[in-house]
Amino acid sequence: MNNNIVLSAKDVEIQFSLRGRELKAIRKCSLDLYKGETLAIVGESGSGKSVFTKSFLGMLDANGKVIGGSIMYDGEDLATYKKEKQWMNIRGKKIAMVMQDPMTSLNPLMPVGKQIQESITRNQGIKGKEAKKMAIEMLEKVGIPDAENRYNQYPHEFSGGMRQRVVIAIAVACQPEILICDEPTTALDVTIQAQILKLIRNLQVEYNMTVVYITHDLGVVANVADRVAVMYAGQIVEYGLVDEIFYDAWHPYTWALMSSLPQYGVKGEPLPTIDGTPPNLFYEIKGDAFAARNKMPLAIDFEEEPPYFEISPTHKAKTWYLDPRAPKIEQPKIFREMRERRMREEA
Amino acid sequence: MLKYTIKRLLQSLFTVFLIASIIFILMRMLPVENYFTEDEAMNLTEEQQQDILEAAGLLDPLPVQLLDFYKDTLKLDFGTSRRIQKGALVVDVIGDKFTVSMRNGATALCIALVLGVLLGVGQTLNKEGIIDHFGTAFTIFVNSVPTIVSFALIMVFGSKVLGLPTLYSSRKVMMSSIMPIFCLSLGSIAGYALWTRRYMVDELNKDYIKLAKIKGLSRGKIMLKHVLKNAFVPLTQYLPAAFLSTIGGSMLCETFFSVPGMGPLLTTGVTKYDISVVQTLSILYASLGVLGAFLGDVLMIIFDPRISLLTKEESR
Repeated sequence: MNNNIVLSAKDVEIQFSLRGRELKAIRKCSLDLYKGETLAIVGESGSGKSVFTKSFLGMLDANGKVIGGSIMYDGEDLATYKKEKQWMNIRGKKIAMVMQDPMTSLNPLMPVGKQIQESITRNQGIKGKEAKKMAIEMLEKVGIPDAENRYNQYPHEFSGGMRQRVVIAIAVACQPEILICDEPTTALDVTIQAQILKLIRNLQVEYNMTVVYITHDLGVVANVADRVAVMYAGQIVEYGLVDEIFYDAWHPYTWALMSSLPQYGVKGEPLPTIDGTPPNLFYEIKGDAFAARNKMPLAIDFEEEPPYFEISPTHKAKTWYLDPRAPKIEQPKIFREMRERRMREEA
Repeated sequence: MLKYTIKRLLQSLFTVFLIASIIFILMRMLPVENYFTEDEAMNLTEEQQQDILEAAGLLDPLPVQLLDFYKDTLKLDFGTSRRIQKGALVVDVIGDKFTVSMRNGATALCIALVLGVLLGVGQTLNKEGIIDHFGTAFTIFVNSVPTIVSFALIMVFGSKVLGLPTLYSSRKVMMSSIMPIFCLSLGSIAGYALWTRRYMVDELNKDYIKLAKIKGLSRGKIMLKHVLKNAFVPLTQYLPAAFLSTIGGSMLCETFFSVPGMGPLLTTGVTKYDISVVQTLSILYASLGVLGAFLGDVLMIIFDPRISLLTKEESR
């Protein structure tokens, strides 16, 4: 792991006003992105994965705003950006995004080539024939055969997987430093998923991009990520290298998440689920946000918010379990089994 | 495309034929007494009346009359007017009025399109701002106040404040057409503003607009190239029909300002039993309607690449 930080978000707080009330979607969330790495952000719906990353491009909905913290990128604090003009220097050029649903993310009335070309013209200032040539090259690069003819076709003439390739081409056309992929494969079928992930991986290497995956799919995480950040109720509760999360997690939420994976289930027994619902973000949360759903909470979980405890230089978790004063708690069986199995396999 | 066009044309012809036939039969079902003016009814004897009716072929059995009507129409002989302008060729009677209505209608539609779309765009850009509220108020006003009342308001304002003539005059065509044209376009302005805003706001929430934003495009570019362009597609479909219905003339407006247009002609024709005029008018209106629908479809195909006229086998 190199130590070349490209983006550093610190104590970011994001608030939405909904029907006259304030909802705090992101509560003091911090994250560093390193050059060329692949980070996966996992967590259940509503945990703030998308919102957090959208704030890096100023793509929050109109009723949401960053009310605290800083997002340092290239010597500037993106959290202070107010005007669209400022964002236009970031979007596309420096930070790009691939959205979930390729069926709706392309303009149905514009040839796909033009949509790529727009991005090239806007961000690289290249116009006309030259830009068209680059757009066709880009189509070839994302694996669309017969790109010359495909350039003039409309989105409805492409399949879902092909459309996602076009969306990726649009995002990568300007060689951004950071590419955020918001569930890029959720809407695609499994065989196509693998192809798309491979394509993103190839482009990442070619352009030396930092890729952030937002996903529910831990299978994707295991395949592509270098690092994993687990989000819960607007905070990153644990982050570490992919092996550290899969084999040596410490936050009870990560445990619960992993235990509910079908791969770890025992045949014939019901799959474990996480009881209860996430906390209501309209109210101030006291203590550990996960305490109410934790099967073995500590008394202090309800009183005070835990700090990050370091497990290794790359692995931190936000849980009182790791406090030296805490009673001895064992990781769930599955982690031990996984570790043992892996050790056997390696041996 | 050609195959489709021919098919559509034949269908259209059949529609016009059906409408003309139905109108013809309906007209023949009106009481024959209406054929004569009060004077004629009083002064002519029963026999004389019968003779006239027979000479006009009105006493023939219906199928025979219908056949004659088809024959004449195919020869483009639309007959003469009997009561509206006695003895004049129907084509001439309608012709002059058609020109007036068409000129006013076309102008009104162009004005409505420009002002309406502009207002709609303004409303979208200034969503929930002053322009938007003004536009909404305007639309609600136009749609809720009875047309004749808003016409009266315009007439009062136009004549008292701007000093425009209230009645149409063939000597001052330009000046005296201003108010009727404005009245004609009023409803359409509100309509286009409403639909433009609606479709644009719809577009604004689409994922591909977000993607365009993520690409780094400016708001102006997004609005013009993605939002307005896409919002215009559903609007284009109605344009030809709207155009043709405005050139048909507006009875209310033309009566109100005494414009010698085509609007009141149909009603007059029916009440005065001027068969030839009514039949010719109904053929004309039917053709305009069918043509409008056809042009609407063609425009839609031009603007929306997803719609294709080719059947599955042809496109392969």
